[in-house]
Amino acid sequence: MNAPDTATLDPKQAEREAIKDINQDYKTKFGFNDPETGYVYKAPKGLSRQLVEDISEYKDEPQWMREFRLKALEHFLARPVPQWGANLNQIDFDDIHYFVRASERAEQSWDDVPEDIKNTFDKLGIPEAERDFLAGVGAQYESEVVYHQVRKDLEEQGVQFVDMDTGLREHEDIVREHFASLIPANDNMLAALNSAVWSGGSFVYVPPGVKVEMPLQAYFRINTENMGQFERTLIIADEGSDVHYIEGCTAPVYSTDSLHSAVVELIARPGARIRYTTVQNWSQNVYNLVTKRARAEADATVEWVDCNLGSKITMKYPSIYLMGERAHGEILSIAFAGAGQHQDAGGKIIHAAPKTTSSIFSKSISKDGGRATYRGLLEVAKGASEARSKVVCDALLLDPESRSDTYPTIRIDENDANVGHEASVSKIGEEQLFYLQTHGLDEEEASKMIVNGFIEPVVKELPMEYAVELNRLIELQMEGSIG
Amino acid sequence: MTDHTVCTIEELPEGARKIVAVDGIEIGVFNCGGELLAIEDRCSHDDGPLAEGELDESTCTVECPRHGSLFDLRSGRPKTLPAFAPVETFPVRAEDGQIKLEVD
Repeated sequence: MNAPDTATLDPKQAEREAIKDINQDYKTKFGFNDPETGYVYKAPKGLSRQLVEDISEYKDEPQWMREFRLKALEHFLARPVPQWGANLNQIDFDDIHYFVRASERAEQSWDDVPEDIKNTFDKLGIPEAERDFLAGVGAQYESEVVYHQVRKDLEEQGVQFVDMDTGLREHEDIVREHFASLIPANDNMLAALNSAVWSGGSFVYVPPGVKVEMPLQAYFRINTENMGQFERTLIIADEGSDVHYIEGCTAPVYSTDSLHSAVVELIARPGARIRYTTVQNWSQNVYNLVTKRARAEADATVEWVDCNLGSKITMKYPSIYLMGERAHGEILSIAFAGAGQHQDAGGKIIHAAPKTTSSIFSKSISKDGGRATYRGLLEVAKGASEARSKVVCDALLLDPESRSDTYPTIRIDENDANVGHEASVSKIGEEQLFYLQTHGLDEEEASKMIVNGFIEPVVKELPMEYAVELNRLIELQMEGSIG
Repeated sequence: MTDHTVCTIEELPEGARKIVAVDGIEIGVFNCGGELLAIEDRCSHDDGPLAEGELDESTCTVECPRHGSLFDLRSGRPKTLPAFAPVETFPVRAEDGQIKLEVD
């Protein structure tokens, strides 16, 4: 059965037109860049021991952090570029600015933020979102946080939400105890790089029993060409507390590549709950290579909601170690790979204690020759009796040029584990499209509807404002996708 | 319990280590600031070698050279992820100028 031809243009031409518009939209909405006239410091390109020492000196760090950085640099230099996943061989690590300081300090009022930078965040809608529905905001521009604010009532309850540099200065003991305790410097090549040159990111501490009702948000913006952004985030939710942290990110469209390589560590103490939501919308000249790991203690819950729409290549597999009895972990992952993109994403859950439960839901969509890879691990370690888990990964291919791969690993060392795994790969079907078209939709609307239905189980987990934004971004990516 | 001679005391000064094989088990024997400690030469994360990693004498920990997990030489417990399961430790002592390792 053939779908009727509704397009007046040649379909391929129509697609090219629509794709051109998508890039236009990214460029106006997110892909613009600011002048660098007011910058305080911009390190020359390249990585060296001197640069690492300079960053530490510049931030006036304690000696142990300087030593940590220098040791991490040695680990980075000793490690080969990983060859098991997406192709990272084109990254020129000598052609990157590793540290760029755009303003003097993290301000607590938008009025004190340098004007160009403030205008950028205005365009991105951050101050507006802060007023409307956020409990706190951190805005990072290049290497450092330029604005940070948390609601007074939360501050009075002892909630700490500051940039990581301030966290190290003001809470050195907590940072020293937990920093790199989940992701050691030598965990992998990119974690080693981040550990050597990290700058910015968030430090969050939620005291026992405190429920942060509204989300905390961090927004990461790269402005410079050939920039490397290496933020570092540590979130500790103490006993019985509850927090939702959201991060978003964009960058200008350049013809040369930038690198974003973050390290994020979450610690959920007994009975605590942390939800960490990412809407990743980097421009398509950014390599996004991120290590995220969480530890959930007894009766704690950790949830990663991970939406990857932008970037040239993403490699990111948020993981949860269920270390205490009855701990619960959830990973919801959406990846959208368009032309020239490779989204190599997924998640890992390790059951290391009895009666722990988990689920991984992954949805990927590939179009225009894009490639989406699901890479996941579900492990039930010895001693984790009565563990229960469910892994579902679904892939949707929108055209024959696109590609989807699934690499699920399941390791079970306990006899009474209850683990389910489902995987599906589907192509957008002509019959589905035809059925919807007979109900008055054109081909593009019909395919959007199918995609929206496909990702709906994940999108409904997002706060309303972000669900709307995600749907809008996906619709933009979808426009003109059916030739 | 069987005693195995590792080496003479002089051959294992402070900060040094020896990796020996006893009954098919590789074991790292360390002199951490004068304290003798022995740990299985296996990281519980991916079964790679552990005892050749960097020794921190101030905390008596060894860092897995493959992914950076830090192991407490006294308890065998990892202090950082990605390893989370402990590895075996073994009694070790100095006697008659020799270092003796006890293995079941």
